[in-house]
Amino acid sequence: MLEIKDLHVSVEDHQILKGLNLSVGEGELHAIMGPNGSGKSTLGYTLAGREDYEVTSGTITMDGEDLVEMEPDERAAAGVFLAFQYPVEIPGVNNAYFLRAALNAQRKARGEEEVDAVTFLKSVRESLKELDMDEALLKRAVNEGFSGGEKKRNEIVQMAVLQPRLAILDETDSGLDIDALKLVAHGINQLRDGKRSFVVITHYQRLLDYLSPDHVHVLSGGRIVESGGPELAERLEAEGYGYLEKAS
Amino acid sequence: MSALAEKLKSESAVDRDAYEKVRKLGQQRLMQYGFPTLKTEEWKYTSLRLIEKREIGDRQGQVSPLPEFPLEATVLHFDHGRLVTSPDGLPAGLSLNPMSPDAIASKDYDAIYGQQSAAFAWLNLARFQEAWKLTVSGEQKLILAITTSPEFNGEAFPRLHIELAPNASLELIEYHRDEGEGLVSVASEIELGQGGRMQHAIRRDNHESVWVQRTDVTVGRDADYRVVAFDQGGRLTRHDLTVRLEQSGAHGEIDGLVVIDGSKHVDWHTEIVHATGHTESRETFRMLADDNSVGVFNGRIHIYEDADDSHSDLNTANLLLSDSARVNIKPELEIYSEEVTASHGATIGQLDDKSVFYMQSRGLSESEAMALLKFGFAAEPLEQMGAEVMREWLLTELRAVL
Repeated sequence: MLEIKDLHVSVEDHQILKGLNLSVGEGELHAIMGPNGSGKSTLGYTLAGREDYEVTSGTITMDGEDLVEMEPDERAAAGVFLAFQYPVEIPGVNNAYFLRAALNAQRKARGEEEVDAVTFLKSVRESLKELDMDEALLKRAVNEGFSGGEKKRNEIVQMAVLQPRLAILDETDSGLDIDALKLVAHGINQLRDGKRSFVVITHYQRLLDYLSPDHVHVLSGGRIVESGGPELAERLEAEGYGYLEKAS
Repeated sequence: MSALAEKLKSESAVDRDAYEKVRKLGQQRLMQYGFPTLKTEEWKYTSLRLIEKREIGDRQGQVSPLPEFPLEATVLHFDHGRLVTSPDGLPAGLSLNPMSPDAIASKDYDAIYGQQSAAFAWLNLARFQEAWKLTVSGEQKLILAITTSPEFNGEAFPRLHIELAPNASLELIEYHRDEGEGLVSVASEIELGQGGRMQHAIRRDNHESVWVQRTDVTVGRDADYRVVAFDQGGRLTRHDLTVRLEQSGAHGEIDGLVVIDGSKHVDWHTEIVHATGHTESRETFRMLADDNSVGVFNGRIHIYEDADDSHSDLNTANLLLSDSARVNIKPELEIYSEEVTASHGATIGQLDDKSVFYMQSRGLSESEAMALLKFGFAAEPLEQMGAEVMREWLLTELRAVL
């Protein structure tokens, strides 16, 4: 479904990703772990198409389509979703309005009919309830004045409403307490339908306890250096990343 | 005397009519102080060369049609400086009359206007064609439209004094639109008596004219004045707005939004005066400048000595939407009393790339994301309008513009 081959990415002339390979099948959940500065967030931003994250060589395809040449909004319409590590506050833009505008922009790009306000509100309210979020947040500006946990949960609400083909979650667990972590994990699991694929970037095994990843990868120095099953995450939790330095 | 003053002076300026005394005063002060130049502090970002270059003629043209307004209210329409709707038959509680020469002459204009920076207020006083006084009691809604026609290339000097009786309440839409190229200098005074309340929306969408306006608001005991301005400016627009909190319990709020593009130039000078203690004010001013446009905002909070327990907050945020647009902003606090709180903040920035990317990553195109960001930024001052119908109207106008 997602094929990344020999991906090299530089940001402001710094080479961050240096030959990353990753293959994510339909319905699979892959966890990406790794020490700080290894390129995890760069991978997320690159997949979503952030400007200044320049693919210098290699390929990214989703369902056979070249993602690299697509604008961020075209990728979104094709089904790519990035849950941001630091969700952006957008003063003055109403949360509900923004989300419906985004959903309808995607649907329009795919040649689908727009969703009316009533249907939209029904679906977003359900998602809010699942994540134990106050409906009043819909009337507020996007992420403005949200607590750290609310921002992260709001990303999951957006994901649930937008129903992407591929969801990339960039440290969505960081800064969450146990209860919020469980809610977020529940929100993700609700969307696992055997077709939708996930790339979950995280520092900790904790989130993975609730998600049962199919594959776990270690990203270090801009490439995947080790891959395995859930047991790899457990080992990293116990032993840390020190072994990477010894190996290099 | 500057060439500009010479040009705007004409024999007919000093009419031998009932207003002669006050016109003479205006004329004298204008001759005495002259017009401001770029060396005048309050005018250093706004050049008057455009007026010097222009041929001022005497074409007036047809009375301009007005758009539909959201308020079901009486419309007072000034076209090329003269009232073109009937002053009669107003609802009970509203009365409009020519200002009596004594009333107009009784004011201390030297204290109100000051010197060179107020040259256009002096000019108005020297040249106004008509001066009207509107008295308001009870709860009222009103539309005040000041327009010029496409053929207009002359001068217009509307002059209006609005007086709210004690405990009166007024919702006012003040609408400005030029189609022509002339010079318009508006002078208005607004006085809120004890317990008076006023919600004032100013909407301006000008083109080629030079438009200079002066609004002096006096807020009495426990009275409440709030103005929300949505200004798209024009070729050269200058608005001086002074809100004077005259007595204890007075409250004043200014929310301004300027959205300009092309080669428009808009200059707002606002001043909130806490003339006595136990007074409160708040001001937000935002500008979005695109293309080669220039925005100027000077916001002054002046708290008098002994005006203890005064509270004021002034905030301005500005967005530059092109490389050649410019904004010049200056918040000023002038405080002579110790037991007060006053704060100010000022920012100038551009649309945030991170926000644009975030919105694009959710499916909006770059242009949709930017439009939404601009709207979000611009809507905030307009959302401060308390009267719902006027608020929705301002927001609808904004949507049509962005």
